[in-house]
Amino acid sequence: MIIAGIDIGNASTETALARYVDGKPEFLCSGIVDTTGMKGTRQNIHGVFASLKQALEKAGLTVENVDLIRINEAAPVIGDVAMETITETIITESTMIGHNPSTPGGLGIGVGVTVDIREVSNCDKGESVIVVIPREVDFEDSSRIINHAVNNGIFINGAIVQRDDGVLINNRLVKKIPIVDEVSLIEKVPRNMRAAIEVAAPGSVVEQLSNPYGIATVFDLTSDETKQVVPVSRALIGNRSAVVIKTPAGDVKERKIPAGQIIIQGSNKKAQVNVDDGAEKIMDAIRSVAPVEDIKGEAGTNAGGMLEKVRQVMSNLTDQLPSAIKIQDLLAVDTFVPQTVKGGVAEEFSMENAVGIAAMVKADKLQMNMIAHELEAELGVKVEVGGVEADMAIRGALTTPGSNRPLAIIDMGAGSTDAAIINRAGEIKSIHLAGAGNMVTLLIASELGYDNMALAEDIKKYPLAKVESLFHIRHEDGTVQFFDKPLDPRTFARVVILTPNGMMPMPGNYSLERIRAVRREAKTKVFVVNAIRSLERVSPTGNVRDIEFVTLVGGSALDFEIPQLVTDALSKYSIVSGRANIRGVEGPRNAVATGLVLAYEEGE
Amino acid sequence: MRMDFDAPKPEIKVVHGKNITYQKVVDEVLHGIEEEGVPFSIEELEETNPVELAFRGAELSHLGVGIGITENEVVLHYIKLKEDHPIFKIPSFSDEATLRAIGSNAARLVKRMPFKNLDNTELS
Repeated sequence: MIIAGIDIGNASTETALARYVDGKPEFLCSGIVDTTGMKGTRQNIHGVFASLKQALEKAGLTVENVDLIRINEAAPVIGDVAMETITETIITESTMIGHNPSTPGGLGIGVGVTVDIREVSNCDKGESVIVVIPREVDFEDSSRIINHAVNNGIFINGAIVQRDDGVLINNRLVKKIPIVDEVSLIEKVPRNMRAAIEVAAPGSVVEQLSNPYGIATVFDLTSDETKQVVPVSRALIGNRSAVVIKTPAGDVKERKIPAGQIIIQGSNKKAQVNVDDGAEKIMDAIRSVAPVEDIKGEAGTNAGGMLEKVRQVMSNLTDQLPSAIKIQDLLAVDTFVPQTVKGGVAEEFSMENAVGIAAMVKADKLQMNMIAHELEAELGVKVEVGGVEADMAIRGALTTPGSNRPLAIIDMGAGSTDAAIINRAGEIKSIHLAGAGNMVTLLIASELGYDNMALAEDIKKYPLAKVESLFHIRHEDGTVQFFDKPLDPRTFARVVILTPNGMMPMPGNYSLERIRAVRREAKTKVFVVNAIRSLERVSPTGNVRDIEFVTLVGGSALDFEIPQLVTDALSKYSIVSGRANIRGVEGPRNAVATGLVLAYEEGE
Repeated sequence: MRMDFDAPKPEIKVVHGKNITYQKVVDEVLHGIEEEGVPFSIEELEETNPVELAFRGAELSHLGVGIGITENEVVLHYIKLKEDHPIFKIPSFSDEATLRAIGSNAARLVKRMPFKNLDNTELS
C-alpha cells in the first residue's frame, strides 16, 4: 500500500510518499510547496493538494494509487511580530545640519550670520556672513556673487547649498570657504541667525562641532547652554560636514517614549515589567513566572496596543473571541531603528532604541479534523490525523544517519521555534516558543531602516558581495569572482545580494560589513537565544548541559549560517548538534511528514 | 634601469567634434566631472559617431574612461568594454541634471562609487 504523510507548517507544506512492503516503509518521493493561508485554516487544502501532486508526479503515480493520507495534528501555535521604538530625538527650532554629502566643498570652519545669497549685497562692510544658496541660484552666479561680496569687504565665511554644487562653487572662489551641499530642505534653514559650518578634509570627520566645548567656543556659550548642545554634538559625530545654527529657543531633546507595561500572568505568579527597561528585563520576568498563561499590555499604551494587535490578528484567524486568545510566550529583543530626526533639515537620522517582540498564541485547537474531512471528500482517499507534531518530528529526525535515542530536536521554522526531546524509553516532551525566521526578517528590516520586507527576507537568506569593478565581485569572505560579461551598471560599486535570480543591488549606503553584522546579530538574537531557552525547558533536569545530542530541523535550519551559529553556541554546553539529514537525503526538511509515515508502521 | 616619471596625467577624456554648436552640453558634462573632483581634458576629433568618439576617448585616457559628445548623443565608455557596448548613452537634449549626472558617473567609474541615476535612459 502507498501512504502519504503531509505536514502543514507555518511556511511550507511537505509531503513524504512511501510504499509499505511487508510492513516496512520504502520511501519513494517528497514534495514541498508554500503553505496556502495561515496554518490550521481551510485555505491550507490547496497547498496540501499541490504538495501531494508534486510528490506523486515525481514518483509517476496518481491520486488513485494512494491508499492513505496522514496529516499532522498541527501544534496550535501561531506567531506574530511587532516593533516599538522607545526613544526619539526632536529638534525644536532647527539647529543643526549633520549629513554626509559625497562631495562637500572647501575645508575648515566658518562662523557668521545666515543670509540668503540674493540679499548678500545688503550686508554691511565687515560683517561675517554664511550664505544660504537655494536651488534657483546656480553655481556660476553664486560664486560670482560671493567673490564680489568679498571684494566689497564682506566676510563670507561659509555656504549652505541645496544642490550638489559644493565643489563647483568652491573651485570658482578667490577665497576658499567651507561649503555644505545637498541640503534638501534648505527653506527650513533659519535666516539672520548665527551659524557655524565645518567641513573636514577627505577621510576625516568634523572635530570642532562634534565636541560640545567646540560649539561653546564658537558661540560663546555658558556652562548651562553647553549642556544643552550635547545632543547636537553627539548627532554630528562621524560626519564629514556639519552646520550648527543657534536659534534663541533652539534645543535638541532625546525623549523617552513611555511605552507602557507588560503584565505577565503565570500559573501561580504574576510579573509586571516596563517595555522601556529593555529586552533583558522582559525576558527575566518571563523566566521568573514560567509557565506563562497569558501576557497582556497596559491599556492605552504602545505595549498594550502591540499585544492587542497580535491578539486581534489571531482571533480573526481562528474565529475565536480576542479574550479567548492567550499569548503564551514572548521573545523580546533589543534593537536600534534609524528614525528621521524630527525637525532636522537634511533628513538626518538618529539611531533610536527599540524593542522587537515576537508573540506566540496557543489557539484552542486548530481545525485539522475539518481539513481532513474536506480532503477525504475531495480526493476520495482515506485521510487521518496523525500524532502530535513534535512526536512526528522526532521520529523523522531519528532517520538522520548517526542519530539515536536519547535525542533532542530544535525545529526552527518561520513562526515559532519548537523543541522536543526523546529519552531512551521513548518518552517525548516538547515545547513551543515565540520567535523564529519572521522575527529575524523584522529585525533586519528595522535595523537597516527598510520598509520592504521582501528585501529584508533576501538579506536574511542569501550571502552578500561587493561589486568592485564592471567585471568582478568580492564575496563576504574576501574571495574574488570574475565574469566574462560586464555586470549591470546599476550594481557597480554597490553591495549586492547574491540571490538565485542574480545580483540584487542594495539601496542605501551601508557597507557590506555593516549589513553582514546586522544579519548575523539578528540571527543570533533570535535563534541562538531560542535554542538555549527551548532546550532549558525540555531538559529533564532543566539544565542544557544534560542534553547530549541535538539535531536541527525545519526551514530555518536550511539557512546558510543559522545552523553554524547554533552549533557553535551549543558546543559551549558540550552538546553535539548539527543539521538533521532526514532519511539521509532530505536535509533538515520533511521531518514531520516522514514521521507521519513511520508512525503508521507502529500503529499510532 | 630608470623609472619613467613622465607617465601621462590620469584624466578622463572628453571628446567632441570640431566647430561645435553645443558648447552648453559639453560644459554641463564637464561640471559633473568637476563636482566629483576628478581631472579631465578635452579633445576635438573629426568624427561624428558618438560611440566611436567615446571609445577613442577611453583609449586616449590614462584612466580608460572616455566621454563622446555629438550634437545628438552623449556616450560614456570604458576601455575594458567592447567598442560597440558603451556603459551609458543619453540624448544631448537631456536636461541639465542628467547631463551633469553622466559626467559624475564617468568620475564615479574612476572612483568606484555607485552611479547616479540617469532617469529615462536605457542602461546597456
